[in-house]
Amino acid sequence: MTKQQPLSGIKVADFSWFGAGPICAENLATFGATVVRVESEAHLDGLRSVAPFPPGKTSYNVSGYFNNYNAGKLDLTLNVRTELGMKMARKLIAWCDVFITNHTPRTVESWKMLYEDLVELNPNIIAAYQPMQGFDGPHKYFMGFGAVLTPITGFSYLSGFPNRPPMGIGTNYPDYVINPGHTLVAILAALHHRKKTGKGQRIELAQLESSASPLAPAIMDYTANGRINMRGGNRLPHAAPHGAFRCKDGIWQDKPEDRWIAFGIFNDAEWRALVEAMGSPAWTLDAQYATHAGRKQHEDAIEASLAEWTRERTPEELMLLLQSKGIAAGVVQNARDMLEADEHLKARGYYVYLDHPEAGRNAYDGPPFRMSKTPGELRTPAPLLGQHNEQVCKEILGMSDDEIAEALIEQALY
Amino acid sequence: MTNAALSDLRVLDLAGEIGVYATKLLADLGADVIRIEHPDGDPLREIGPFWHDEAAADRSLSFLNNNTNKRSITLDIAQPEGRALFEKLVATADVVVETFAPGYLDSIGLGYAALCTIKPDIILTSVTGFGQDGPHAHYRWSDVVGVAMSGMMTLAGDKDDPPNMPVPSQGYTGASIQAAAGTMMAVVHRDNSGEGQHIDVSMQEANSINQETAMQTYDMMKAIRTRTGSRGAIPIDIAGIGVYECTDGQVFSYLGTPGGAPWTAMLDWMNREGMAEDLNDEPYVTLIRKLQLSFLTSLARPDELQKHLDEFGGRVKSVGDLLPLLMHLHQVFGRFCASMSKWTLYEEGQKQRLMFGIVSTPEDLAKNPQLAARGWYQDVQHDHLGATVRYAGPPYRLSETPWSMRRRPPLPGEHNTEVYVQELGVPAGEIERLRAAGVV
Repeated sequence: MTKQQPLSGIKVADFSWFGAGPICAENLATFGATVVRVESEAHLDGLRSVAPFPPGKTSYNVSGYFNNYNAGKLDLTLNVRTELGMKMARKLIAWCDVFITNHTPRTVESWKMLYEDLVELNPNIIAAYQPMQGFDGPHKYFMGFGAVLTPITGFSYLSGFPNRPPMGIGTNYPDYVINPGHTLVAILAALHHRKKTGKGQRIELAQLESSASPLAPAIMDYTANGRINMRGGNRLPHAAPHGAFRCKDGIWQDKPEDRWIAFGIFNDAEWRALVEAMGSPAWTLDAQYATHAGRKQHEDAIEASLAEWTRERTPEELMLLLQSKGIAAGVVQNARDMLEADEHLKARGYYVYLDHPEAGRNAYDGPPFRMSKTPGELRTPAPLLGQHNEQVCKEILGMSDDEIAEALIEQALY
Repeated sequence: MTNAALSDLRVLDLAGEIGVYATKLLADLGADVIRIEHPDGDPLREIGPFWHDEAAADRSLSFLNNNTNKRSITLDIAQPEGRALFEKLVATADVVVETFAPGYLDSIGLGYAALCTIKPDIILTSVTGFGQDGPHAHYRWSDVVGVAMSGMMTLAGDKDDPPNMPVPSQGYTGASIQAAAGTMMAVVHRDNSGEGQHIDVSMQEANSINQETAMQTYDMMKAIRTRTGSRGAIPIDIAGIGVYECTDGQVFSYLGTPGGAPWTAMLDWMNREGMAEDLNDEPYVTLIRKLQLSFLTSLARPDELQKHLDEFGGRVKSVGDLLPLLMHLHQVFGRFCASMSKWTLYEEGQKQRLMFGIVSTPEDLAKNPQLAARGWYQDVQHDHLGATVRYAGPPYRLSETPWSMRRRPPLPGEHNTEVYVQELGVPAGEIERLRAAGVV
């Protein structure tokens, strides 16, 4: 194992907030980059105020929402609306290799941080922008959070049960893997290109486009076939039965807890394996169920009968049984399952526990992929607001004590 | 092709459904991705829907989407002669992406250690449901299993329904995106050090961060976040927050939240359309003036709420008085939306900084004016279909190394001659013999 990490020596100026930008920048830090997260007390990252918080604690340094996306970073507070703050920001931009922001086009324009502005300071900078809809086009200035983006991108209409309104996936879904992940791929490709040619470039990830990319087949079904797919619940056209089945209730804090097993039957061999797992009850021997077409036609009846069987068993028991028969099956896990019950995640050490000066010892999502020679590492917990102001000012911006004092007085370091 | 970011990389694509979007991302950034299809047929070509609903090897829409810019050869790597050909290819490759059950490649002599003897700096990316090691490494996976085991699924849907699987196949999408990122991280490392390595992607781990705050909520508070359906965390219908019916579909609105125009701007619009009903009277005028996030969050905090209630001048003394007013506002707003097209609400609303989002159907996405103006869709001629197929564009734009559709998705084995005969120098007769033997 080598000590050098893939991004050792790479410097990142993280001018983003919320999820899509910071998660991408966090992954850069995990694999060795020096990442300076720029915040401002004049305009706090909304996530710092959102639950969860450790019991009894309320400062903006202890939000689990914020902290999980900012491990490994240095933190600098800069008010770029002050002349000195903007000057310091520009010095940081001149210092970095990679710049990232998901601020709106309006904000980026007002900050004079368009690509053409950045290259004046840093000709070979790799600058990644994550506007909601793009820096051009009729909807350039449209606004919204993840909750608004999810319906626009098509996820809401296509997810869930048909008899329910399009309620989305329960989270600001594209913010966590799709958008930061695509951005990471693009930044790494740009680093590779820069290694070859010496040239940086501008990356623009319009969140609408990045989020709609995985839905391309559904869009193609419309443009090629005129068909408007609608949400199909937990079913799949090429599997039957398929979905989540209610199991024996668990107990949580003295109350019953609904528990579920998820699996699908994709071919006749799997159906026969399922039948065997159930002990070949009479209803399964109906000849109509022997083929996919037959199972599809009678899917309602099969689901109802299956549910009677699963309802008497725990999902863990069912996962073990079905997997032993070669059927892909999994417990519909909640966070308690993930953190405490899942022996596999524990063995792989997926969750990383870090000691944070104010929040205490907390779990963080580990690296999203493993590398055999340069495993990523969450080296430090999320930073406190402005935690590294002095360090960054001295070591990166080359400021003297007097200059730092001036920056404090002028509320540039704010 | 010369100004593509990854044009110097060759990728051998052995990926099944869980990883094929990863190799698409690499191909679309310029890599020479050679898809290796089993001579008996690539199962991904059998997944519908199909072009014009005609099931055929060149018509699966998901296959077409996931295999832009790739070449295709047919090869059975499990047979000794097939393995030998594969090894010849590895010698010319930078990356191999595979999604077999852990241990399979080792069992046929093509595991990471074996590949290193052929090409010491090879990058092998393995994408599976649960990763290469651990108690569940041998578990079989499907998309719904990944989504369930990663903690995502429990958060979606109405509490009276089973947990919702997101539109298929998000488990695979997350795994593929992380796999592409991991592969690129290895490429960057190799640029610096000359060494390759083995990348291990678990679909379960790749998607765990999609739990948003659920993991941290349990870790910090020992509370379990559950699915709350369309209301989310808000227990009552709040006018202007949620899904509303329109003449031609639905919109999602998120009024009164920070950053957008206030509710009074919405009332102005409703007045211009003559649909404000009695909202210009008290107590609605006061209610609308106050209808923003800080007021809404105070509904759960009695001391803060009282200060708000005092502004109603005695007409509204308690939450019990407030709820029917909010319901009425919600209904009037609903009638306004029901009289308008979703596109009008979305576009005209956004121009006034009112946070509307159209609930896009696939048709809406196909016709979205922003995507059209940005030239996101690409029409590609397909000689084998006698038609043009419209493809979605890339997730990102790179200024120096722009995305381009260099070639349409390949037919099975379309590049056998090009790759085996012209590039590897295997005599054509030999390839023909191997084809007859089912190796190629």
